[in-house]
Parts: sequence; structure tokens; C-alpha cells
Amino acid sequence: MSVNGIPRGFAIEARELLKSYDNLTAVDKVSFGVNYGEAFGMLGPNGAGKSTILRMIYCRTPLTGGSLSVVGLDVTREPRSIKESVGVVPQDNNLDPDLNVRGNLLIYARYFRIPRNVAEKRADELIEFVELGEKRAARIDTLSGGMKRRLMIARALINNPMILVLDEPTTGLDPHVRIAIWDKLRELRQQGLTILLSTHYMDEAEKLCDRLVIIDRGRILVSGTPRDLIAEHVLHFVLEARGINGRALRHDLTGIISEKRGSTHFYFARTAEMLAPLMREYEDCETYLRHSNLEDVFLRLTDRDHLT
Amino acid sequence: MIALANVNPGDLFRVWRRNYDVYIRLWRTEMVAPLFEPIFTVMGFGWGVGSLVAGNVMGVPYLTFVGAGLLAFTALLRALFECTYGSYFRMVYQSTFDAVLCTPVEVESLALGEIAWGASKALLDGIFVLGVLSLFGAVLSPLGILIPFILSIAALWVAALSIIVTARIRDINYFNFYLAFVFSYLWISGAYFPLDKMPQLVQVLAWLVPVTAAVDISRGLMIGHFSWRTVFELLYLIVAFVLTAELALRSLRRRLVS
Repeated sequence: MSVNGIPRGFAIEARELLKSYDNLTAVDKVSFGVNYGEAFGMLGPNGAGKSTILRMIYCRTPLTGGSLSVVGLDVTREPRSIKESVGVVPQDNNLDPDLNVRGNLLIYARYFRIPRNVAEKRADELIEFVELGEKRAARIDTLSGGMKRRLMIARALINNPMILVLDEPTTGLDPHVRIAIWDKLRELRQQGLTILLSTHYMDEAEKLCDRLVIIDRGRILVSGTPRDLIAEHVLHFVLEARGINGRALRHDLTGIISEKRGSTHFYFARTAEMLAPLMREYEDCETYLRHSNLEDVFLRLTDRDHLT
Repeated sequence: MIALANVNPGDLFRVWRRNYDVYIRLWRTEMVAPLFEPIFTVMGFGWGVGSLVAGNVMGVPYLTFVGAGLLAFTALLRALFECTYGSYFRMVYQSTFDAVLCTPVEVESLALGEIAWGASKALLDGIFVLGVLSLFGAVLSPLGILIPFILSIAALWVAALSIIVTARIRDINYFNFYLAFVFSYLWISGAYFPLDKMPQLVQVLAWLVPVTAAVDISRGLMIGHFSWRTVFELLYLIVAFVLTAELALRSLRRRLVS
């Protein structure tokens, strides 16, 4: 089944994956594959269906249709074996407030049937890994938001998973904490762990993911590496003009794609020189000339009603 | 498919054990505080009400008569509170259930683990209150030692019923309806006075709910009375538990896995 320790096939493979509730289609026939050892991102606005897809992957929510295999096993037939190979960091922290830091790891280890002595060793290693050594006996409600999130990651690793699934790992955390968590995730990725994460932060997706899909209203709009997506869907440079004072968006420029979002005008072009004349024209506004990024791709592709 | 068949005994124990670990850690509030009340209740009934009741009730001293009811209700209410407010807190406010369900533990094992835990707390309370009643001389037969174990079967039924309610409500205040029903029922279960003084219809209603059987068995064992009636009542408790547990497991799956 494996070559040089890496199993063949996809770590996760979804085909025509469908999830509908009474009168709502949350996930609409989505197909994708995640390779072993890859960091794969799902980018999309709130309510796009990201969490639902993740929940189906870690066997927390049944599918309505299509097929989904995780570590080569069918989610409807072998959820138990899959859960043994997957670590989960859900969107909301659900640490056990009745137990301390170490207790949270040990109780989780018990659910995975890890023998006590192995669990204790692993818990101590993970506490060191997420740098909570001084907090090992602390109550959960004394931890900061960043510490709780780190402990969630440690807990997700207690069963030595092949795949780590993270639903919005850094939402609501301050920049220092986000950077610290990204470092940990990169370290895990380098150790060969397959990482699947959802986010609505473009910088997070760009920095962490080898490949990603952009999802909106239960459908995959595009997929590829962050760099390819930028190259394919927006021109290389963008001029951003804020505080436009009722000025009209220019549509008449050749080779330039123009767009208005709220009270900001965006002009995309292949070279920076092409945007220079426009920059002079917007002299009285706040202007920025920059490389286009994933956020531009995202905003161009996802539904605007959703975002405002 | 039968939900009970999906229970994994090992997982059931692991869920039970989590609650046990927390209970031991919080033993002061968990063990000591709730047992304060029964001591005073027994004193009140023994010295207070008991002195007003002339002679015996149905051939037994009043404290023995009412003690069986108190014992049953202390134990059963403990299971009820554990599997209503306790489980609801773990499910909704602490998301403990959600965390458990991301591990190999399935919802059926989780539900039965919670039910078993509720019954375990009832057993502990039952043993304690039985001890208090013995000190007051209300336990007239060594068979009385069996009461907490019989009551824990009834407590399993109460716990399962409570999990059904917990799984179905969306607002914690709805427990008030359930509690109103249970506390009203307290007065017609034969706990405080003989059931045969009640109108026929009330008696029928009372016997339909297994608590009456639990009270009746406890009272019998207090005075060393064990008969075929005890066996049938016991069977009734077991059947009621199994059917209710099946529903409880299904209800919790519907609530948590969609």
C-alpha cells in the first residue's frame, strides 16, 4: 500500500460530495483530492460550506450523497478507523473546563484507547511542542485565547494522526499568536503530516497552503496553488484608490481590468507602468500600488452580496 | 436498526470515567453538599412528622414507611438532575459531547455513558441515605442493603428519560416543564403516603410510571419483604429502562449528528 512510507492514492478524496438539509444545500457536489503530506486549504466566505465539508471528512456529519474516502477508507463504512487516523481542531474550542491542561490531553487519549503510560509520555511531549510547559496543571479558564488554541492543536495530535483537520485555526487571534500557530503548523507539515484547513484569511492560505480551493455557496469555484490562482484570475499589479469622492470607475482603459468594491476602486494590469497614469489621476485620493494577492482573487470570484 | 446495539462497552466506560474523574476532583461540592439535605429531611420526618403520625402506617413505623420514599426520591432526583442540567451543560455550554464525538466514540456509547453515570450518582446517594436511615433505626431488615442497587435500575430509567428531554429541548428553561411533572408526580407515587388512599384513576396513573414500583420495592426491602410482586416490579423497571434507553440513544443521535 505504501512506497517509502508514503501511502499511495489520496489522503482525502471527495467525489460529487453532497450535503443538504431540509431546504438548504450546504455542499453542492464537490470533488477534490488532497495528497499525502500536503497542506491543503479551503478558502471561502462565512457560510460557504467549508465547515460542513470538514465535518464530513472527520466523520462528524453524514453525507447526503456522493462519496468520500479518507486515508483510503470510506467515511460511511469505516468511520471508526478514520477517526483513529484524523486529528480535529474544530472552529470553536471545546476544551474540557472541568479538567486541567494535561488532563484534557489524557482524557482525549483515553477515548482513542491509548494506554496510560504512552498517553502520559505523548501528552508531555505535546505540551512542550505547543509551549505550554508552565501551564500543564492550569485550569482551562485561566488560559489566553492563543494558549487554548495551541492546546486544541496538541489535543488533536494526541492520537498521532495521519491527517490534521483545522477549521479556521487562527480566527479571532492576535497577529503574534497567529504567526506562532503558523510556525507550528509548518513544522508539522515538514514532519510529513497532511494538513487540511479552512480559513477566510487570505494571508493564512497564502502562507500555509501548497494548494487550495476557493469555495462559495457550497461549490468549488477554483483550485490550484496560491501563486497559480493569482496568475490565472487577476493581473499581476493592482492600483487601489480609496476615498474616491463620488468619482466614476473608468472602464475605457485597454489592458486594464477595473472594479469597484464599496468606496474603493481597483485597477488590475500586467505591469506597474500601465497603472502610472491612473495614479496621477487619483492624486487627491489615497492610492496604493501593489502586487495582486489571493484576496483579490477571492473577492473577484466570490459573491459580493455575501460579503457586504 | 437498534441503537443500543451500537453501544461499545469500552467507550461507554470511557465516557462514564470522564464524569467519575471530574466527580472525584470536585468531591467537596459533588459529594458533601447534596447529602446535607437528606439528613435534615430524615430528621424532619423522623422527629417532626413522625411524632404526629400515631402508630404505624400500613403496619410499619412512619419513618420506615416514608424513609423508603425519601430514599427512592433522593436517588432518582440525583439521576434526573445529572442527566438534565448536568448533561445539558456538557452538551451545550461546554461542548464536551462535540469533543468526544471527534474521537472514535460514537453517540450511542456517549448517551449510555451519561445515563450510566446518572445512575451511578443515584447509587452513591442511595447508599448514603440508607446509612442515615439506618442510624435512625428505620431500616428493619438486612435486605435493606439491596435497596440502592434496585434503585439504581430505576435511576437508569429516570436518567434515560432525562436524556430524551435533554436531547429535545433547545432552551434550558424547558426543563421546568419536565421538573414540574416530576415534582407533581412525587405526591402520587406512594412516597409519602399509601397509594390505596388515592382515587382509582390516580392509582392507575401512578403505577404506570416506574417510580411507584421503585418506591414499593424499596419499602418492601426495608421491612424484609420480598415476593413475586417484587420480581414483577423489578422486571417492569428493567423493561422500562431498555425501551426508554433505546429512545434516548436515538434522540441524542438526532440532536448531535445531522
